[in-house]
This record gives sequence, C-alpha cells and structure tokens, in this order.
Amino acid sequence: MIEHQRQPAASPARVVVLGSRGFIGATTVERLRKSGIMTLAVPSSELDLTAPGAADALAAKLRPDDALVVFSALTPDKGKDIATMNRNLAMANAVCAALGKQKVDHVIYISSDAVYGEAPSLVDERTPAAPDALYGVMHLARELMFRSVVAANALCILRPTLVYGVADTHNSYGSNRYRRQAAKEGKIPLFGNGEETRDHVLVDDVAELIRLCLTHKSTGILNAVSGRSISFKQCAEIVARQFDKKVDIELKPRGPGAVITHRSYDVADCRKAFPSFRWTSVEDGFAKAHRDMMAGGGG
Amino acid sequence: MTLRVGYAGLSHLGICSAVAAADKGCMVVGYDPDTRIVEGLKGGDMTVVEPDLDDLARRCKERLSYTDTVADLGACDLVYVARDVPTDDYGGSDLRPIDALIDQVAPVMKPGAHLIVLCQVPPGFTRARRRPGLSLFYQVETLIFGRAVERATKPERFMVGAADGETPLPASLADFLGRFGCPILVMRYESAELCKIAINVCLVASVGVANTLADLSERIGADWSEIVPALRLDARIGPKAYIQPGLGIAGGNLERDLATVCRLADETGADAGIVRAQMANNKRRADWVLHRLHEHLPGSGATIGVLGLAYKENTHSTKNSPSLALIRHLTPHALRVHDPVVKAEAMLHPRLVQVEKPLQVCDGADALAIMTPWPDYRTLPVEELGFRLKGRLVVDPFAVLDRKAAKAAKLDHWVLGAPRH
Repeated sequence: MIEHQRQPAASPARVVVLGSRGFIGATTVERLRKSGIMTLAVPSSELDLTAPGAADALAAKLRPDDALVVFSALTPDKGKDIATMNRNLAMANAVCAALGKQKVDHVIYISSDAVYGEAPSLVDERTPAAPDALYGVMHLARELMFRSVVAANALCILRPTLVYGVADTHNSYGSNRYRRQAAKEGKIPLFGNGEETRDHVLVDDVAELIRLCLTHKSTGILNAVSGRSISFKQCAEIVARQFDKKVDIELKPRGPGAVITHRSYDVADCRKAFPSFRWTSVEDGFAKAHRDMMAGGGG
Repeated sequence: MTLRVGYAGLSHLGICSAVAAADKGCMVVGYDPDTRIVEGLKGGDMTVVEPDLDDLARRCKERLSYTDTVADLGACDLVYVARDVPTDDYGGSDLRPIDALIDQVAPVMKPGAHLIVLCQVPPGFTRARRRPGLSLFYQVETLIFGRAVERATKPERFMVGAADGETPLPASLADFLGRFGCPILVMRYESAELCKIAINVCLVASVGVANTLADLSERIGADWSEIVPALRLDARIGPKAYIQPGLGIAGGNLERDLATVCRLADETGADAGIVRAQMANNKRRADWVLHRLHEHLPGSGATIGVLGLAYKENTHSTKNSPSLALIRHLTPHALRVHDPVVKAEAMLHPRLVQVEKPLQVCDGADALAIMTPWPDYRTLPVEELGFRLKGRLVVDPFAVLDRKAAKAAKLDHWVLGAPRH
C-alpha cells in the first residue's frame, strides 16, 4: 500500500524526468506540462547515465525541492543479456550516487512487473518479487539500490505491466505489435491459441498515475495495472476490430516446451490510493491507439 | 452450599460469562477495576449488545453483583479471569491487562479457591503463570459475537486446561461446569490453549474455501448458493459448516489466532504457509464491495447508501469492520449510512450523514452497499428500496435482499458467489 505524504495534493516545485524521450517518459512529460507542473526533461541524449561523470552532472541539475522520476532503462528489445543488465545497473548507480550528493524531496522509480517473474495469480504489491529473467532481476536490484539511498518517506516505486500506445518503441508481443502487423500485413500471428492472459495499460493512464503520485508525494510500492486481464487472442481480436479491412488472426504452433502462463492483478491498493482514478478499458484504449496511428502518430 | 463464582474483567467475555453463571444458580461477583464500567452495570447498562443479554441479566439480578473492589472476590470458590485480550490491527495480543488481573486477584482468593483463565491467551501462557499456592486452570472460551449469551448458557462442550491433564477437576469446578450439561474435556494447558486456536483456524479454513470458490463461481458463471446445500448434505462437511462466503474475517479474535499460529510456527520451525495464505485471502475479501462500487460508479460525485457499520450482525463491535474499511476509501463520494447500534464517527468520512431508518440511506443514492446483515435489513421492502434509490446498483455481499425480488425491482444486484453480469 502506498501512502500519500502530501494531503491535499499539490504540484511539486519541479519534476526532473530522466529518460524523458522514452515511450512512457515522453508521455509523462507531456502530461505534467499540460497540468502546469514545472518539468525538466532530461533525455539520455543530454545525459548519458553510463558515462563517466554522469553522477556529478545529474547532481548539478537537482535541487532539494525537486521530485525526480526515473524512467531511464534499456528495455528488453535493446538486449536481454548480462551486459545490458550491467549497463542498466550502472545507470541506476549514477542516479543513486547523484542522490547521495544532492538529496531531493521525492523520487519515483519506474520499475516493472517483471520483478514478479512467473508468480501465479493473483498478484498484488505484497506478492514476493521473484524475477526469473535478467530484466526483472535488474529492476528489482535497482529498486533495492534506490531504497538504500532514498528515505522510505520519499521513495515511490511503480511497477507497470504491459503498456500500450501508438508511440511504443519496444514492439513487444502484444497489442502494439499486433496493431503494426495488422496495418502492414493484414494479419496478426499468435502463439498457440493466444490463450495466455495479461493485463494491458494505456500509456496515458500510466502518465496520469505518475502525476497523481507526484502531486500526492506518494511513497511505497504500487503496481501500475488495470486489474483486468484478457487473453492475447482477445487482445488481437480487439485490435483487429479497429481496422476497416479484414485482419486475419493466425494461430502458430508454440515452440517445444512452451508453458501457458496467466497473470492477473488485485488492484485494491490503487483503488484505495486514488479512488477517483479510472483505467481506460482496453476496448477504448486500443481504439485510441488505433486512431493515433491512423492520424500518423506512429506505429 | 451455594457456589460462588467471580469474574474479573468485565468486558464482553466477562459480562456474558458472568450472566450465564448466574443463570445456572451461582452467586456471581463481577469485578472490574474500572469504576465507570461497574457503576454502569449496577445501573443496568450492560455496555455490550447481545441478543437476550439484558433480559437474562434482569432475571438473574438477585444473584449478580458488581464491584470495583478486588477483595470482594475473596469469598468466591472459583474466580475466572475473563477480560477480552486487546489485539492490534495485525492480530498481536496485549496480554498485560490479563497479567495485571491475575496479579490483583490471586492474593485475595480464599484457600481452596481456584483461578481459571478464560481469556484468549497463546499456548504457554497459563503454565508460565503458575505460582505456589495457586490452583490454576485454563478454560477455552467459545464466545461468538452476536450469539454470546446462547453460547455461554448452552455450550457444546467445555475444554479445560490443567497442569497435567490427568488429575480430576476439583469438586467446585466440576460442579460448576456440570450445571451446563455438556461434555467436559480436560487436557494439558498447552493442548487447551492450542485447542482454542485450532477451532478458529478450522473455521477460517472453511470460510477460506468458501471465499475462494465463491470468487471462482462469480468468474465462471457458477452460483455458490446453489453449491452450498450440496456441501451441507455431505456428512463429512456437515449442515453447520462455515461455508458461507464473506468479506474476510473481522472482530479481532480470529486474526489474533492466525497471527499466533504463524508466530509459533516461525519460532518452532513448523510450516504455516497455509495459514498465511488464509490471511492474505481474507485481506482481499474485505475489498470485494469496494471493487464492485469502483467498477460501476464514476470516479467522484456519487451518493452511496451504506447499511451497517458493525463488523457483523447483532453486535456493537466494529473491530476490523469491512464497512468502516470501505467507507474510508469512498472519499470522492457522499455517504448516507445506517446502523441499528453503531454511531459513525465524524472522522470517518468528510461527507457522511447517518440516518435513523434503514430505507433513508436509499434516498437519492446512486448505489447501495449492504455491509452488515442485520436481521432488520432482511425484511426491507425491496420494491420501495428500489423506488427510493436513484441508481440501480445494489452491492449486497450476504444476499440480505431476496435475489428474485431484487431482480423484479430491476436492481443491479451483486451478491458474493453469484455469477457476474
């Protein structure tokens, strides 16, 4: 359960966003600026957190009354190997070192639900983190790194699940890839019968959740999940319905030894923390992503 | 000779037990160091709400006396330490008040009298309190909130813990317990202390099974209420099995026993994984109503009627009450609440109105949540209720309203274990 350190909610003095050109980072910066929150966007092109001197450079940008949101990470599409994990840890190391030099008022670390590994449903924030891949191990290690340098009453850890939106750059298996495949090839290939269930969240909603955490100065751990899981087949069908043309859903045999897994979330903590917040349904969210794509927004 | 029985600690357990002893013809002295409680009881204020308690106390008043002077227990043949053990939100027990009572009572008891711990104490407690010259026993209490008088006057059996579990009970204790006409099981202190916990853990396990399968029923289109009768007719499960789904355990006692099992298991290396799973399941169940409201109401600005604040029917207790927990998370909405005995505290919610009559919670409300299955709520006219509600959503976990009547009134009626629609 997260706790709100600021009641009533109010804008932080300034928000510094690391990884501000990434998929969720860019959307969040836009959301914060739209709501009038002073935001300093720091993309990796401006500050390479793996470079020597990164900690000092970051510390020089920070002020004591800042809120810092850390998106910076090499996602699995950039590599799933040990070297990628170590580069990610080096980035976190630089941020933690900077925070050692210059404390800030609030830190939000954008982690991942990959920290839960193959934990059986129903997952909530008290489910023990047990990552089964280096990407999840990396996020869990980074969570612990931040917890070692940021006070508990100043640190918020968000663990988003599958995030979708037209500007997604990762092209992971799921609605973003389906939409592109349907547009380009007129078909959506699925493994097996697409029976695996997952939770999908719209990037705009994740950005709004981050805004809420910032204005409430929320601390603790919160899963950025909608609480509704659908199968990949349902996901593909909803994506396909957005097109005027016929889109075929192709079922492809799974590889040998493939295990069907499901993932559902208990979202009570989110509903209690932000009782007015509502997740966009996948039907509406997928439709929005489709409209954005057709409007040339990416994809 | 008239048997004199004392009760030290006049909380829920002590009061109900004292009245039951008087009902069995004993001369009863109720002692509590809190003068206000004693004066209240002397004036007829039983301080707790239980069916039949006031009437029974009135009928037995010639044999009931209350005092704040511990020496008044000196004439008793048996003295029960019967104060409820305070628990925190995590099921932890505060045993200091029990020790304080034992320390007060033991020195004033007459030779040949026996001290019986009736409180909910962890295994090992009683043996550690043995002292020279004190005849000490532990007795399992089986009080159920809302049925305390019935349970105290007509127990199914007594479970008594003694130092060795083999020596016969002393005559005065055997005489007293024999008046209730039920089996008396004597065992070691530790067995009796764990027996109390075992009963509760078994009940929690049953409810946990019901909750898990009711949840599954909702998701796959089954109806748990259709399954329950079949289970009750199975002799291995039984007609009185705890298989009604609920909103998680509350009241404090069951939570305490689960926490005790986990602590003892951790200390001794036993596996309490299944008990921890029950605890997690129970925490989740408390949010069932919140989820239904959240899924069907806008983010803010709705008016919600709430029937019931007590943690269950026929009690004034709100310890871990699902209703109060729900209300704390409905801050974006206005609330109209009712409870026959519990008064809502102003701190609970910024926009809460407590009404006098149950149906008044429906007036202009977008949704209704029936959080405590008080008997009076079962007779509410469903058609009028639907007429007074502005919206159609009725979240009724315990099926207090007749499901057919709710359907006829075109209510969007949500019940634990019923298929989601």
